[in-house]
Amino acid sequence: MRYVFQFGVVADHWPALVAGALATLRLSLLAMAFGLAIAILCAFLRRGAPRPIALAVATYVEIIRNTPLLVQLFIIYFSLPGLGIRLEAEEAAVLGLSLNLGGYATEILRAGLDAIPKGQIEAGRALGLTRLQIFRLIMLFPALRIVYPALASQFVILLLGSSIVSAISAPELTGVTNTLQSTTFRAFEFYFVATGLYLLMAIAVRLALDGIQWLVFVRGRAW
Amino acid sequence: MRRWFQALAIGVGLATAFASGANAQNPSSLDRILKEKKLRVTAEVTAPPFGMIDAKGQPDGSEVATARQLAKDLGVDVDFIQVTGPQRIPTLLSGRADIAISSLSMTIDRAKVVMFASPHGALSIVIAAPASVDIKDAKGMSGKRIGITRATLEEATVPKIAPPDARIVLFDDIAATIQALLSGQVDAAGFSAFTSKSVADRNPDKKLEDKFTVTTAYYAAALRPGDHDLLHFVNTWVALRTRDGTLGQIYEKYTGVKLVPLPPL
Repeated sequence: MRYVFQFGVVADHWPALVAGALATLRLSLLAMAFGLAIAILCAFLRRGAPRPIALAVATYVEIIRNTPLLVQLFIIYFSLPGLGIRLEAEEAAVLGLSLNLGGYATEILRAGLDAIPKGQIEAGRALGLTRLQIFRLIMLFPALRIVYPALASQFVILLLGSSIVSAISAPELTGVTNTLQSTTFRAFEFYFVATGLYLLMAIAVRLALDGIQWLVFVRGRAW
Repeated sequence: MRRWFQALAIGVGLATAFASGANAQNPSSLDRILKEKKLRVTAEVTAPPFGMIDAKGQPDGSEVATARQLAKDLGVDVDFIQVTGPQRIPTLLSGRADIAISSLSMTIDRAKVVMFASPHGALSIVIAAPASVDIKDAKGMSGKRIGITRATLEEATVPKIAPPDARIVLFDDIAATIQALLSGQVDAAGFSAFTSKSVADRNPDKKLEDKFTVTTAYYAAALRPGDHDLLHFVNTWVALRTRDGTLGQIYEKYTGVKLVPLPPL
């Protein structure tokens, strides 16, 4: 079977691909920020809150980690309107990705919090600090430092997993690629270039995260 | 000196392997199908009534039944490759399927990349929406969200006639587009008339109706460029089976509509 590659077709649609890549970055960064915030909150509640709340958080985490992201997105985008909550595709995508990342990051962060030496926490209590103060001043920063590599990996997984949101028509690189290949019939060329773009974005994000790690956790190291 | 000879030998060996590989991959598909006794066909199972899953979880539908008839007449087994709309042509071109019988409407753009056989069916594309949505023609789509499935005839036609302020929302398969319409995520959606009818019948409370017809088209089996033996066989088969009414029967059984007279290719 002979196949004639025509990458010139890809070059004609380059602006659309770049716009898609930027949309992917935007979605991922928003989801990273919200997801991390959810994780910090949930990790705290899981350890220190009254039993019913801790149990609710545990339920949320287990549901997220044991169901497919695609199904979670379908429920948010297709099923919630039946309950009167209609979200735009992009809003549903950010919500779904944030909740998904929040579930996984909560567990990662919990491991970091468990690794804090008990002596530190007891010292905090001896000084009369409240639970929230102990968490905020003594536990959170070292825990983040310990689990930073795992969190960074989870962020890159999120960037790549954002390709799934094309199934609910949210604008991002995979959706744009699918549309372009379906109208020009140049599947191989477009998917090849899209793979390259994802690779570039993942490497760029990974470098940025390493840079943040150096700036925040290594350079100004007081702990 | 010895290194040089070794490199030359490897180079010649690779070159012959590529050359004979390229040739070996191009024996006639028809001969290979008859020898292996297996016909690989794409089956788009999320496009009722052309392709769907029956109660036993097996592919069914008018295009699936057509493919089964073709395999039976060839005297071979049929192997269905389940695909979504956008995957129909790539699956054929990459060689994973020998022939694409999945209600591929004949368009000039598609004809540049695949070889169409003589058409064996016809369909029309409509814009469907709940009764409460007011759309009478293409201009009525102004300011509305229109759900469209990628790599379909509606994707090739609706965006061209839609007003600039209509929002075209693209989904990867027909099931997702149907869900979007039913859940209210889009105001209207483009489907084949048969799909629209089946969705409306299954959801009477939504009061879906066809607002206007976008286009009509003939659909045909698609083959890889250069696959002339198989193309000629399929053309002959379509002509004979249309004449004796077999294809018309299959079409009417699944769509409930009589097959219109088909032009030869």
